[in-house]
Amino acid sequence: MLSLFLIVIAAFFFTGIVVRTKSLASGRKGPGIMQPIKDVIRLFKKGAVYSKTSSIIFQIAPTIYFSSVVMAMLVVPFGQSKGLISFNCDFIFFAYVLALGKFFSIISALDTGSSFEGMGASREALYSMFAEPALFILMGSFALLTGYTSFQEIFAALHIGSYLSYALATLATFVLVMIAMIENSRMPIDDPKTHLELTMIHEVMILDNSGFDLGLLLSAGYLKFAIYGALIVNLFVGMVDYQYAIPLFFIIQFLMAVVVGLIESFMARFRMNHNAQFIVALTSVSLLIFFGAILILGKFN
Amino acid sequence: MISTELLLNLSWATALIAIVFIVLVKPNSKAYIAALASVITALSTSIPALQALGGATSSVSIFAGSFLGSIPIKIDGLSAWFILIINFTSVTGAFYGIGYLRSYQNNSAKLSLHWSLYVVFQLSMVWVCMLQHSFAFLVAWEIMSLSSMLLVIFDGHKPKTLKAGLNYLVQMHISVILLTIGFIWVYATTGSFSFDAFSTFFANNNNIWLFLIFFVGFGIKAGFIPVHSWLPHAHPAAPSHVSGVMSGVIVKLGIYGIFRVITFLESDFLMLGEIILSVSVLTGLYGILNAAVHRDFKRMLAYCTIENIGIIGIGIGLGLIGIGNNSPLLFFLGFSGALLHVLNHSLFKSLLFYSAGSVYQQTHTRDMEKLGGLIKQMPKTAILFLIGAIAIGGMPPFNGFVSEFILYNGLIEALKTGDITQTSLVILSFAGLSLIGGLSILTFSKTFGVVFLGSPRKKLHTVPQEVSKIMLFPQYIIVAVMLLVAFFPRFFLNSIQCILQDGLKNIAIFSSVASYSDNIVAVNYYFILLLVVVGIIWGIRSLMVKNREQQTEGTWGCSYVAPNSKMQYTGKSFSKPLGKVFSFLLIEEKKYAELSDGEIFPKKRKYVSHYKDFFEYYIFNFVTQRIVFSANYFKFIQNGRMQSYVLYGILFVVLIVVLTGLNVLK
Repeated sequence: MLSLFLIVIAAFFFTGIVVRTKSLASGRKGPGIMQPIKDVIRLFKKGAVYSKTSSIIFQIAPTIYFSSVVMAMLVVPFGQSKGLISFNCDFIFFAYVLALGKFFSIISALDTGSSFEGMGASREALYSMFAEPALFILMGSFALLTGYTSFQEIFAALHIGSYLSYALATLATFVLVMIAMIENSRMPIDDPKTHLELTMIHEVMILDNSGFDLGLLLSAGYLKFAIYGALIVNLFVGMVDYQYAIPLFFIIQFLMAVVVGLIESFMARFRMNHNAQFIVALTSVSLLIFFGAILILGKFN
Repeated sequence: MISTELLLNLSWATALIAIVFIVLVKPNSKAYIAALASVITALSTSIPALQALGGATSSVSIFAGSFLGSIPIKIDGLSAWFILIINFTSVTGAFYGIGYLRSYQNNSAKLSLHWSLYVVFQLSMVWVCMLQHSFAFLVAWEIMSLSSMLLVIFDGHKPKTLKAGLNYLVQMHISVILLTIGFIWVYATTGSFSFDAFSTFFANNNNIWLFLIFFVGFGIKAGFIPVHSWLPHAHPAAPSHVSGVMSGVIVKLGIYGIFRVITFLESDFLMLGEIILSVSVLTGLYGILNAAVHRDFKRMLAYCTIENIGIIGIGIGLGLIGIGNNSPLLFFLGFSGALLHVLNHSLFKSLLFYSAGSVYQQTHTRDMEKLGGLIKQMPKTAILFLIGAIAIGGMPPFNGFVSEFILYNGLIEALKTGDITQTSLVILSFAGLSLIGGLSILTFSKTFGVVFLGSPRKKLHTVPQEVSKIMLFPQYIIVAVMLLVAFFPRFFLNSIQCILQDGLKNIAIFSSVASYSDNIVAVNYYFILLLVVVGIIWGIRSLMVKNREQQTEGTWGCSYVAPNSKMQYTGKSFSKPLGKVFSFLLIEEKKYAELSDGEIFPKKRKYVSHYKDFFEYYIFNFVTQRIVFSANYFKFIQNGRMQSYVLYGILFVVLIVVLTGLNVLK
């Protein structure tokens, strides 16, 4: 339960912090931290414009996308406290329910009959597909290491003991940050601030959404970032008491937002055709974690 | 209580009577007779099957002359599971076929042949699952292959269809050769044609080779790589209700065969399990990769069948590893995942083939690049296809997730037990299965999006309309059963537990399995929760937007003012980046004429691009070409001169006489 509140609170500030960091890095003052939320609220109050080409799919897709993110959020634990739903292999449910949302966002992009949106949809489908094995190998290695299979039990049992496990935690953080970047269509995979439709991924898919639906899509994006942030926090929190764990949660989320802002300020986006290679490389980092895990378990002899 | 023997006799008697009637009645009622026969056959064989699932295995035997002796017929849990799946899919196929073939009313002979064969086809499939006698099994198997081949070439006047049929026929006979070798081997060792002889054989001999012969033999039917190449030809060529049944159940009979042989295995489980697991993951990946790039939507579905056979195979492999590791939990998770996925796949794949068939019937094209925006004209078909697409992608809240979830659980379990070789293999399979999931989302979002969404890409000769009720009805029934599996998985898992308890190797299923299956069946609560969340948000949305102004405008075209429907993203371009990444496996063949030097005013020209099957293109075509090449050297033997043939005859007779005289032949 606790994770739910924390994620929602973090989602309120996360994107604001990213935007603020980018503004400061480029020497501007920038909008207030709550600006993204204000944008969403404004969108919620607006009417909508629908494309002539689109069908019912286009109207239900944002709702299903948002719901899938909410369901994924319910699975994520926080330290000792379980998520609202927690069962063996819940991380598979987590991945597949997010996939459902993605499926609908892809077909809603195709529903508009726009070539730009189709292009974005194609890229989104490809990149998120490549990111999947990295997450699964990561979670599989943790399951192997700890002997548990649900998010909460895995994270609770992850002890930072030997030097090797420090290395594993670092690699896992890297993988999770990168998966978060891919899933949320941020740099270096996708540039949310680009102005050319041909080079966008996520932004171009939602070109035709407006009003309430766009608000849903944006807020789902904020939540998604906070969810991945919460997963990273869980790597470190483990069985730490709440009085330390909760501040730690916000510190790590804050740091992650700042890092994202800094990456986006000082890095250029990868070339589109190198993205696939980059994402597949993530899988090999995950495999490193796996080999680390079997080293720790002493399976090599 | 009606005796099993009577019911089984009823099943074949129905088929014979039905064939007579089908030939005699008017063209427009042939289909109804066939559907009725299909229902009666289904009922008469499902009753003993249901009893068997309840734990009452029924066995009878038929006396078939002095050569064959008595033929044992047994319906145990495993047969029952497949019989029920066969019957359900065949009945829905028959009803769908009534509507699908309605436009062929003027071709009475063709319809008679088609529907008679359909009845025989269903009967033979059911009997394949019951016969426990090698020879009788092969006869039923052969009837099944032949009848399905004739069903495939319904449109026999098209050379492509005929070629696909011949391809199927040849490959099925390679499969039969392997099966025959296997059966003869067992017969030669044990002296019995009965399936019980397998136990004796496996107990006293090396298990690996005989099992592998059967695995390849049945694998051809099932469509494991590299022996899958009949599927992508036969499925698109067949009429859609036949492709639905073929893809839904006939490939599953290959799986049945593999399962049946597994029940007799005695040793080497671990190694065989690892072999099957590796082959299956590769099959799954290969199938879905090809499905992602093809533009013929029925061929796409055929490749997707290969993918799902891979997923089922992962379960079988895990189950075998479970026996090898002596882990009841893994045994249960692997085999139950496989069996449940057999059911699930037969449901959503037949649904997808039927709805794809509806599209084909209305538009007369299987090329998705010519379609678009069909959701407006055929909303029900579109929603049915969408449900099938979500389910086959393994996404909640449909049945595909349940079986894939069990398999993921199995993979995690296999990860924890076993040595480093197994762990490494399993983690790669784990990643492979997740990649398969991601790819199937790409494939089906592309297919659904291109066929049903957007605007029409090409003007069709007739305006597509929603198909008739008799074609929609079977699809609704399938969706209902899919929802049953998704929301009441306990019922199905309990049946599977029964099958596993008595049918397969007797590993004591201890209590941990029961608690584990509790954990699995609990997913239906999360499905319900998901639906509730969707409902709440949709409710809020409806309330919020009720009084807002809504406008309808053209799609945002980035300020370009003259967009047309040809500018939409095509399916080909959607999957092109994927095709590029996997270009070593997905061979693209392009045909186009380059601009020649000095061609200032280019004329209209064509550009064709096709994806070729890696194994067919590089391996089978190569081998057959070499065979044909070397066979050319022996052409002089068949020279068309009667004199030479008489000479061959004389030479043969002389040879026999001489060899007998020299006591070489006895």
